[in-house]
Amino acid sequence: MSTVLSEGVIHVSNDCKACDHCTFICPTGAISGELGQKHHISPKKCINCGQCLINCPFNAIHDLSRIEELKKALADPQKFVVVQEAPAVRVALGEEFGQAAGTNVKNKMYASLRKLGFDKVYDTEFTADLTIMEEGTELIHRVYGALGVPGFEEVGPLPQFTSCCPAWIKYAEDNYPLVLPHISSAKSPQQMWGAVAKTYLAEKLNVDPANMFSVSVMPCTAKKYECERPEFISSGYQDVDLVITTRELAQMIKDAGIDFMALPDEEADRFVGLSTGAATIFGATGGVMEAALRTAYEILSGESLGKVEFDAVRGLDPVREATVEVPVKALGTSLPVSVCIVTGTKHVASVIEDVLAGRSKYHFIEVMNCPGGCINGGGQPIRRDTY
Amino acid sequence: MSNENGKVLKHGTQTRTMHWIHLLAFIILGLTGVGFYWDIGGIASIFGGEANASLVHRWTGVVFVVGPLLYTLLNFDRFSRFMDTISHFSKDDFAWLKVMGGYLPFIKADDVPPQDKYNAGQKILGWLIIIGCLLIILTGFPMWLWRHSVPAVFLSFCYDVHFWTAMVLILLVAGHFFLAAIHPKSRVEFSSMMLDGYIDAEITAHHNAKWFAELKESS
Repeated sequence: MSTVLSEGVIHVSNDCKACDHCTFICPTGAISGELGQKHHISPKKCINCGQCLINCPFNAIHDLSRIEELKKALADPQKFVVVQEAPAVRVALGEEFGQAAGTNVKNKMYASLRKLGFDKVYDTEFTADLTIMEEGTELIHRVYGALGVPGFEEVGPLPQFTSCCPAWIKYAEDNYPLVLPHISSAKSPQQMWGAVAKTYLAEKLNVDPANMFSVSVMPCTAKKYECERPEFISSGYQDVDLVITTRELAQMIKDAGIDFMALPDEEADRFVGLSTGAATIFGATGGVMEAALRTAYEILSGESLGKVEFDAVRGLDPVREATVEVPVKALGTSLPVSVCIVTGTKHVASVIEDVLAGRSKYHFIEVMNCPGGCINGGGQPIRRDTY
Repeated sequence: MSNENGKVLKHGTQTRTMHWIHLLAFIILGLTGVGFYWDIGGIASIFGGEANASLVHRWTGVVFVVGPLLYTLLNFDRFSRFMDTISHFSKDDFAWLKVMGGYLPFIKADDVPPQDKYNAGQKILGWLIIIGCLLIILTGFPMWLWRHSVPAVFLSFCYDVHFWTAMVLILLVAGHFFLAAIHPKSRVEFSSMMLDGYIDAEITAHHNAKWFAELKESS
């Protein structure tokens, strides 16, 4: 078992001032220690979300870093190093270089990654689209299954939970194993990308997947745990070899002496670089839900959406709900689809309890561990001046 | 106020009791606080480990607040006079500060100006201790009671203000102790505050001439 899986990603350093702020931040009670006593994180309970890390007043909590290993891979002529970046990275990376929060620096990010020595620079947005198609289609199948449509007897139960947040997945596995059949069987965009890279992409580029080193830049520390999970070897190799956070990418750029803002604007490599606007909104709470709803609506109704935004699922309340009337062409009727968005794993317990007790009115539930979504992930730049 | 032995009552029983309580609380708070900041395990061990040391620190903090608060409520007139004295800076006070009351060997002071019950240095010390204590109290309670709800940046700010104010106070109290207990010109003050409250009338007439004149006038 890898060190990450056995010991976890997040660790409290000796700089801990024992202020006890983090115990309230932690959604799983993984942090032990009383006020005045150095704190400790139980890797068994920790879901690696890194919220304690970005909220530690003394920067005394760290995530496991494999930057040195990445630098070795980049310097190794035998390795073909490819990289993907999550949607939430491009709107936060600029903060490390003096840009206002939310500034989209994706073109400079692509350029910086090439400067750092990555052989190919792609974008996770492509597989975010795949996730949407998978989750949207799976939802439709589950709805058909619940309605007794022949051919859908073996599909999973409703409501369907989203599956792209690795912290939420570990939370469910550790605390509510009975809810697992409700979680979408779709892999996260990161892991879909890893599998595509070492199969389809390797073949198209004529690269031996054994020599391909697949890296992802994520706003999330739990992604470091996800990529090490033993089941993610669809390509026959570890699909994603290594994850770095937005903070670590910024550090690598600074360490390399790259003047980030002076870089020319570049595009991602186009091999699997096409993506939709739906993929872009993945990084914010409600984004996956909205993207999947757009897909399900179009597939079920056979009509293109006039208005693309589902405003009802947007916002920052920890638990939000909405009902969307979806015309189902195949059934000749319309169905009210009830959805729920949970941002912050702390708030999900009652939603799960309702599902397990058969009281839930929802068909589709999005859970993102970090308040506000991936944009506020544990791997993002730490901004003490904003809150 | 002068008694038959030629002494003057400078500090009443309640004042002395409050001073003792505050001093002991300050020593415990300083010791445990320094232990936390520099992660000195030996200090925490004296109090039964880190968590217990923190408990002692917090509840001693309560004593540190309640002691003077109770004293102020029970002796409001005395407290008002004290505040009035340390708030009033006359030409004599500024003149005293120019020669530092003759305490420093490298400043020549043939004639030290007459002083109130507290000299100009003690007045400044009084204000610094009041402001320092308020800062420590106002930052300490959020660190304890609202540590889960306040933003990280505010908590970090509280820790910085709490610690550095405490450092300044420790240095001030060390200076105060030196002048009140060790310095040959003023160590007679020690027994007045720490023991019976009395001080020689002759010394008072010299060190606190204005106050002594007031006492004579009122007796």
